[in-house]
Amino acid sequence: MHEASIAQAIVQTVLSHAEELEAESVKSVEIELGELSFLNDEQVAFWMKLGFENTVAQDAELSIKKTAAEIKCASCSYEGALKVMEDPYNHMKLPSFSCPECGSADIEITQGKGAVVRNIKIIKK
Amino acid sequence: MDTKSDKKDLEVNVPVEEDIFSRNNKIADQNISMLEKHHVHAIDILGSVGSGKTTLVQNLVRHLKNDYRITAIAGDLTTSIDADRIQEEGAPVVQINTGQECHLDATMIQKVLKTLDLEDQDLILVENVGNLICPSAFQVGAHQRIVVVSTTEGPYMVVKHPHTFMEASVLVVNKIDLAGAMEVDLDKLKRDALQIKPDIKVVFTNGRTGEGIPEFIQALNLPKK
Repeated sequence: MHEASIAQAIVQTVLSHAEELEAESVKSVEIELGELSFLNDEQVAFWMKLGFENTVAQDAELSIKKTAAEIKCASCSYEGALKVMEDPYNHMKLPSFSCPECGSADIEITQGKGAVVRNIKIIKK
Repeated sequence: MDTKSDKKDLEVNVPVEEDIFSRNNKIADQNISMLEKHHVHAIDILGSVGSGKTTLVQNLVRHLKNDYRITAIAGDLTTSIDADRIQEEGAPVVQINTGQECHLDATMIQKVLKTLDLEDQDLILVENVGNLICPSAFQVGAHQRIVVVSTTEGPYMVVKHPHTFMEASVLVVNKIDLAGAMEVDLDKLKRDALQIKPDIKVVFTNGRTGEGIPEFIQALNLPKK
């Protein structure tokens, strides 16, 4: 449900860069949504398109990539993907916020929580 | 088409590298610094509408008000029902009506913190908007986050919201008196939570009778007064 406000913030970020650089139009916008960002990419794209209507970015091509979660373990120094478990009860995969190597819960999430505007392509006036 | 190719050399690649959440995270960090300067502890409380967040806050105020100077911040879309209920327990409450917004964010909390005399506070209880998804993505600037699920929401509340537990220190399973009627296995809920977050503390409460509240308070591991 908060996709609308995040998309609005993305739109503002893109448009303020475009304005600063005196763009005639924005050709493409590259976004990365983290696996742990609680954001649905299709909804973000929908709200972004609405936000770009009647602006210099109205014809911009949107690229939305998903970034996987990564962690760093404070106990064994493991760095990499989050542990994922099969849940036989509910027939689904469940993330576990722990180290897949040593099982410690003392981990830092280093990637996968963000909603990042990576890159835009603009056409100069 | 020609005009397009003419424009090709005017095309500029602009690296932006801006995380939309980073603005909120920065303000959340500021909130933590403000609180710590005055030795105030803050707890962010998440749970669905009707899970029992307000009743649990009422219980916390009742048990802790003699030892801690408490202010509650109640987030809700429109009403002040929750704030009124907490106030009856004898703690000041600041109501935040978010209007349409499905979560509290760090800016909303900072506005409230600026109106409080933090020197006169020990504990701030933030009751987030009733919703287990959106509030999880927004740090408000609290020292710990607790999640409330109740047995009346059914047996799958934990496995359906695994990411909500990412930053939670305590899971409160509320309305345990209704577990039988709802055919909810309390041990299974606890196992689910420990699978997802091996260091989470799980407590079982009945907010109506106060059962489990001392264990809940112990699990919070509050700074000693």
